[in-house]
Amino acid sequence: MMQRVLALVKMELLKLIREPANLFLNMLFPAILTLVFGLAFGGLGGGDSSLFDTMAPGLFAYACIFLIMTVAMSFTDDRESGLLKRINVTPTTSTQFIGSHIITNMFIAVFQLAIVFLLSLLMGFRPNVDVLGVIMAFVFMLFLSLCSVGLGLITATIAKSAGAASGISFIFILPQMFFGTFMPLTEATRVIAAFLPSYYVTEAITTIFNGVSPFAVEILMQLGIIALMSIIIVILGIFLFKKYGKV
Amino acid sequence: MVMRNTNDDEKMQNLIDEFKKDISSKNNEILGYHDKIDALEQEIIRLQKLIPGETSKLKVKREKPEDIFDPDGASAVIVKDLVKQFGDVTAVNGINLDIKKGELFGLLGPNGAGKTTTINMLVGLLDPTEGTASVGGYDVKRDLNKIKEIIGVCPQEPAVFKFLKGRENVELFGNLFEMDKNVLKERADKFFEASGLKEASNRKAKGYSGGMLRQLNLIIALINDPKIIFLDEPTVGMDPRVRRKTWTFIGDLKQKDKTIILTTHYIEEAEALCDRVGIIDYGELIALGSPKELMKKHDAKNLEEVFMKITGRRILEGV
Ligand SMILES: Nc1ncnc2c1ncn2[C@@H]1O[C@H](COP(=O)(O)OP(=O)(O)O)[C@@H](O)[C@H]1O
Ligand SMILES: [Mg+2]
Repeated sequence: MMQRVLALVKMELLKLIREPANLFLNMLFPAILTLVFGLAFGGLGGGDSSLFDTMAPGLFAYACIFLIMTVAMSFTDDRESGLLKRINVTPTTSTQFIGSHIITNMFIAVFQLAIVFLLSLLMGFRPNVDVLGVIMAFVFMLFLSLCSVGLGLITATIAKSAGAASGISFIFILPQMFFGTFMPLTEATRVIAAFLPSYYVTEAITTIFNGVSPFAVEILMQLGIIALMSIIIVILGIFLFKKYGKV
Repeated sequence: MVMRNTNDDEKMQNLIDEFKKDISSKNNEILGYHDKIDALEQEIIRLQKLIPGETSKLKVKREKPEDIFDPDGASAVIVKDLVKQFGDVTAVNGINLDIKKGELFGLLGPNGAGKTTTINMLVGLLDPTEGTASVGGYDVKRDLNKIKEIIGVCPQEPAVFKFLKGRENVELFGNLFEMDKNVLKERADKFFEASGLKEASNRKAKGYSGGMLRQLNLIIALINDPKIIFLDEPTVGMDPRVRRKTWTFIGDLKQKDKTIILTTHYIEEAEALCDRVGIIDYGELIALGSPKELMKKHDAKNLEEVFMKITGRRILEGV
């Protein structure tokens, strides 16, 4: 079983590294955003760094949110080129197949978050946090990435083609970017935000980075919410993909 | 679906009777009508198989598939009354086959005849609308997991990861079959050598020509040393030289206990390679036997003529 999953993870990682478009979307785009925001609002530009400090958690979230598109396009691409069918006539089970996607994307997320985190430190981000707090922030991000994998699967189920997938994935990406990160919320958008995984993650990380203990009750509650959300979304994604994402 | 009005039979018989009366009055023209009578009689035999009384006998058995599948263990693939409908389109319309172990069997027919659909049902990519089939003694509906362990499938359209090197593609699929690393490498080397892709195997598939992609497509299908091999139009789009080489390659695969089911719309390919062919047209099996038998039976020089005599059309029409 491990042999199969490892082979698939290796393939997915090579897909990311060797396809320039994927590489840009995943690795470079969030990093570039961080650079742009850092230069515009960060302490490096000589100004007050507090604005960038409030944005940084949202920028980390961006890195995870964009995984939705990666996952959706990867599945639809493979489906269009007959590769899902081909994998389907080997003894590989769908659990192993989807499991390998989850592992790959968790791996990508960790790597990407490390880059964005280091970049933001470079741009003047100074969180009031200890190692435990950073680890907890990463745990939140991993759950957010898990949500993205599930939403990517759901996107792939709905989308008829890879092109459609990139468009449809924005249904899940944009609300999370606008209402679930650092943009100020109104009464109305707060209601929307309550359904967005990125909202809880950004809130929690902002709190942690303000010096609150990562094991404070409010943080643990938010952890519970995002854990539950990610499990539900992934299970829903797997179910829909198996049932309607016919290869 | 399989049911046909028995009137069809009577009509056909009447037609023949009329025909016979007609031609008996024209003794000197009789010879020219022999073929047509033969074809009509074939049609009657086919229709008789579809009479409700006949099929219902099979239906009773179908409830316990393990009883009807391969009692003597000599069959690799058994197909019973297989039907596939896509909405209004009936792609496969009641096909019956019994392919023996070690056979190189060809499904021959024009584009759109239902060859790929038949293969896809046998390898579990499509659920049959009606009917059953067994592969390697396993029921396609119940024991798909066991079937996947013993088959190799070469899809009609090459399906390879373009960003992976030829060798990486083959290794990926070998790993999906949980092959031993050394065995995997050995087999991959052997195939790359034999196909002339040895040098190209270390390059990304993105740069491959159409013919090279097809060869890689074929190697992936064979890497797990499958007992039963499905090749869907393995040589379509290859230039004649590579095609002949691939024929040799496929011919060499034919060993004891290896069964190969290949689809093709190239008549020469079927004639050159296959122990037996099933000719399929509009989702129905219209002829079955060794190329020699079929040619003899239909007094034809080749399988193209056999198809022509049965259907009145050319196999490659509209390709
Ligand atoms: N997924 C599908 N949906 C609708 N029609 C299909 C589908 N797949 C095949 N068909 C139709 O079924 C018939 C048989 O197709 P196919 O099995 O691909 O033929 P062949 O492989 O012999 O060329 C064709 O008329 C084709 O258009
Ligand atoms: Mg076909």
